[in-house]
Amino acid sequence: MSSVQDTVFDIIAKESGIDRSRITPNATLKDLEIQSLDAVQIIFEIEDHFKVTMPDRDPQFDTESVGGLIATVEKLLAEQTTQPIAP
Amino acid sequence: MQRVVITGMGAVTPLGHTAAATWSAMREGRVAIGPITSMSRDGLRFGIAAEVQGFDPLAHFDEKKLILFDRVSQFALVAAREAIAQSGIDFSADDLGENTAVVIGTGIGGEQTHDEASRRLYGENNPRTHPLTIVRLMANAPACQISIEHKLTGPAFATSSACASANHALAQAFHMVRSGVADAAVAGGTEACITLGVIKAWEAMRVMADDTCRPFSKQRHGMVLGEGAGVFVLETLERARQRGATILAEFIGAGMSADAGDIVLPSEAGMAKAIQRALADGALGTAEVDYINAHGTGTPGNDPTESKAIRRVFGAHADRLAVSSTKSMHAHALGAAGAIELVATIGALREGVAPPTMNFLDPDPECDLDYVPNAARELPVRAALSNSFAFGGLNAVLALRRAP
Repeated sequence: MSSVQDTVFDIIAKESGIDRSRITPNATLKDLEIQSLDAVQIIFEIEDHFKVTMPDRDPQFDTESVGGLIATVEKLLAEQTTQPIAP
Repeated sequence: MQRVVITGMGAVTPLGHTAAATWSAMREGRVAIGPITSMSRDGLRFGIAAEVQGFDPLAHFDEKKLILFDRVSQFALVAAREAIAQSGIDFSADDLGENTAVVIGTGIGGEQTHDEASRRLYGENNPRTHPLTIVRLMANAPACQISIEHKLTGPAFATSSACASANHALAQAFHMVRSGVADAAVAGGTEACITLGVIKAWEAMRVMADDTCRPFSKQRHGMVLGEGAGVFVLETLERARQRGATILAEFIGAGMSADAGDIVLPSEAGMAKAIQRALADGALGTAEVDYINAHGTGTPGNDPTESKAIRRVFGAHADRLAVSSTKSMHAHALGAAGAIELVATIGALREGVAPPTMNFLDPDPECDLDYVPNAARELPVRAALSNSFAFGGLNAVLALRRAP
């Protein structure tokens, strides 16, 4: 399990109050019966933890499923490290 | 019990700086949603809103007075002047001002003042806060400033119920005049919420549209923020007739309810309860209603729930109703929304025209009413409702009839 996945699982479990063992990468937040207000809090906590901005309504990213959230975070983090440092 | 009529209306909206200009833009189906111009769009996710553009406070207030007014009070004061002038009412005659109420709703209050004070304090580490910060930002400032300017010494206060604030204000004013607690009222709603802090907060909820506001349409993406004010003069039918005033509409009922459920998800039962109570309060039969100005925010949650609530109350007559969301044009002005939408409702009653739901693409199977898509429609409007349903599950619906 990647550290991003580990952290995202932790955040989902903490914010939604569901049992961590129920969370799988394939599940959508809807499958896990996570209410919309909890879902936006999960996304906020992910953004705040990783210091990234998660896309909103961008068809190129899946922010509905747990695996999609993890992949999005990993992609955003990779973009940050490859970006040239401003002079 | 007195019969209550509306004899003056004023508005400052993204569609125009008067109620008349706002209504004519609604009839034409003009959409005031566009890229935000009042601040840098850097760091904003979508950067669209419906702003009141070209509003010059110095055209309305002298500099010495202006320092007391946040933009939220400026809008309310200008709208109140228009409404009072149109009604021709003289508050100094017969001590009328002595018992005239002022009730002005706002969801947020003086947010620009708040934003500026926070920026200085936290952003610039500037320990000096402007001494008029409190009097500008307090949520009751618009009501106070109207009462001061027009010397109205009856009951005066603000209502705050997020997106239903204006309808709650108008409901309170209506019930006070009907029962005789007040002889007349100046009431409505105002909001000036297009600040960086407020936009970021709405964006964080992920309910904002990236393109425009498309209520009831399958392709709707959420809501768009607006701003502005609407203010009305309410008085008894008896007084209006005595003084030969032009009556814009009769205000016959107001219904309120709380969902007591979810803080954000709307409830069909709660909405239906407020609609039923407005009808009952106004002794209005469902078959007499021809037009409903919907809350119609364009969010996934509101529009199907509101459509089902209307169907639940109106049954088969729901198919004969014209239901439109003018938020498609002026966007969602939160605590001013119901007041701006009352301009639309009064326009519909006076001119027999249902304003359109603009930006409408394909119908959503979950929303199965006649939403007057993309063009205004002439139809006789005998009676109309105006819906407002707020976060927190706070609902307020107004019922009006054509002028007697």
